[in-house]
Amino acid sequence: MQLGDARVGKMADNIVGFARTLRRAGFPMDSERISVALESALMIGLEEKEDFRAALEATMVCRQQDLEVFEQLFEAYFRNPELTQQLLAQLLPKTTEAAPSPKRRARAQEALAAITSSNSRARVEEESVDFDAAMTASDQVRLRHADFESLSASEFKLVQRLASEIPLPWPRVPARRTQRSRAGARVDWAHTLRECARLDGELLSLPYLARRTQALPVLILIDVSGSMERYARLMLAFLHQSTRGLARSVYAFGNQLTDLNSAFRHTDTDEMLSTANALIQDFAGGTQIGHSLEQLRLTRSRQLIGRRTVVLLITDGLDTGEPSDLSQELAWLKRNCRSLLWLNPLLRFEHYAPIAGGASVLQKYADGMLAIHDLAHLEDLAQSLAELVKQ
Amino acid sequence: MSQQSVGSVQALTEALASVGYLAERRLATAVYLSLTLQRPLLLEGEPGVGKTELAKALSKVLQRPLVRLQCYDGMEQREALYEWNHAAQLMHMRAQQDRATPEQLEHAIYQEKYLLRRPMLQALQTPAPGAVLLIDEVDRADAPFEAFLLEYLGEYQVSIPELGTVRAQIPPVTILTSNRTRDLNDAVKRRCLYHWMDYPDRERELSIVRQSVPQASEALAQQVANFVERLRSAPFANALSRSPGIAESVEWAKALVALNTLQLDPEVVQSTVGILFKQREDLAALEPMLEALLAPAPDA
Repeated sequence: MQLGDARVGKMADNIVGFARTLRRAGFPMDSERISVALESALMIGLEEKEDFRAALEATMVCRQQDLEVFEQLFEAYFRNPELTQQLLAQLLPKTTEAAPSPKRRARAQEALAAITSSNSRARVEEESVDFDAAMTASDQVRLRHADFESLSASEFKLVQRLASEIPLPWPRVPARRTQRSRAGARVDWAHTLRECARLDGELLSLPYLARRTQALPVLILIDVSGSMERYARLMLAFLHQSTRGLARSVYAFGNQLTDLNSAFRHTDTDEMLSTANALIQDFAGGTQIGHSLEQLRLTRSRQLIGRRTVVLLITDGLDTGEPSDLSQELAWLKRNCRSLLWLNPLLRFEHYAPIAGGASVLQKYADGMLAIHDLAHLEDLAQSLAELVKQ
Repeated sequence: MSQQSVGSVQALTEALASVGYLAERRLATAVYLSLTLQRPLLLEGEPGVGKTELAKALSKVLQRPLVRLQCYDGMEQREALYEWNHAAQLMHMRAQQDRATPEQLEHAIYQEKYLLRRPMLQALQTPAPGAVLLIDEVDRADAPFEAFLLEYLGEYQVSIPELGTVRAQIPPVTILTSNRTRDLNDAVKRRCLYHWMDYPDRERELSIVRQSVPQASEALAQQVANFVERLRSAPFANALSRSPGIAESVEWAKALVALNTLQLDPEVVQSTVGILFKQREDLAALEPMLEALLAPAPDA
């Protein structure tokens, strides 16, 4: 692109605007990227829409999990009249339920909302309540209706930020492999010799080998019964992001055990949520911890690797099964894991003490227990998880 | 064919097809941009979707030598870029010990002839028409290595303290691949164009199988493409830990031809399925689904 190139005019505006929309949807987008995108768009030209899109995609997307959102935003942004229509349809109060609009990721929706509102501010303002998806108090009501929908842009950013800011300090143990270090049990002879050769036979320093460390495998058991309903979705999203790279296996339980590992294999959190949604049959139902653990023992006992696994149990302990069954299963679980951590959101009960059948059994077996009284924000939850793991 | 003659996305697609690589339009556009903007191209995707093959095909199309750097955990600069030939340097010093001053010696041993060139330096110094550098499975290397890559990816140059900066006369066409065992640093991604390679659609897979295994009958190729496509899609894929890639379906077709198979049936699939799946759990999960997978397509 040269300065003063007449072709740049409108297209530059559009591409910069599009880039800003992407940025709102959580894409990493700096000005260099925008200028490369513009350059490549000029090179490819506008004759073929698919090529134009592929050019922008190659320059503006850098993560697989962003591809779908990119596609939706591209369609919406470069087809403006229809976009306005669709958006307005989605802006109408939910009760009307008319005019089915194409299902969009909430992230795309929220990023687009900003454009529409700046285009037709007066009209949108009174109806824009639904798009405010920040984690405010009113949001909790919304979550109850909208469990396991895809994350909105602000939720996405929140989950990402929390996952990077609040690292969960999973315990680490020495691994078999070694790495060079300043101190250690063994001298790294191979490296010493190489250094000697480099320095004409002089021995100046003595490098050592120390064992690397590795994180212990994690087994996450999350309660999705009625009493946990409000948090299951964001909890899953947070765990999905923050346990990346760990050897993890994830199960949800209510009345029965659901294997969520295939859902957690997706890198895209939205895709994870929708798969989990399809997998979980007993969402917001009853709780039978004992029965679910029995299923785990009978069918998935290999998930507990060599008694090294850290088990994270997220439940309020309101069990409707037999306490003796639960006790038996927990004893098995405890025997076969490294530590059993229990995160206990005591949702609605201000003066709760773990005396209910299930909870007292759980307390007996848990190596660490953390109860949170008022779990108003995901932030608290992430903090307390980190605290619990540290114990 | 030289780089100049790849004048459009269409021409590039055709050139790639002529060396046996069937690229979809999106991929061809990304490659075309990477060639014209002279930016590295980062390819991500599941194993076996043809990331490495693309670099090989490009080297044929552009008639440039392919320099390959296979990354692994703990890889260092001296395996990727250069190393001094210490043994030769020592010999030189011993031989010259009594005849030269230390300064002369030092000058003499840090000459290019004592430099062992590793893939990245080779790629930078390849004379016209330049090289295609494939940095394979960059996610296997560790984070410090990525930091070291930055200078190369941004400027096509590297710094060697004893010699100074080595700049490419002709920027190598650089392809990075990643299987996404971990997320790459943003700084690396910023310097690259990005393309996510997905499994091909049925038609493309069919043409790839036809092209790579010409001995397979049309019906068999169709069945293989159908079967693999179903394996990768919704109800079945959730039960499996990994979906087979293109490389696997081609291998499978070859195996079926070797067994003189004309028609897929549960028995043949059972005996050859080790090519598609390498996990015992997957093999077990496949058995009950076989009937559904082999059922004729509803529109056929």
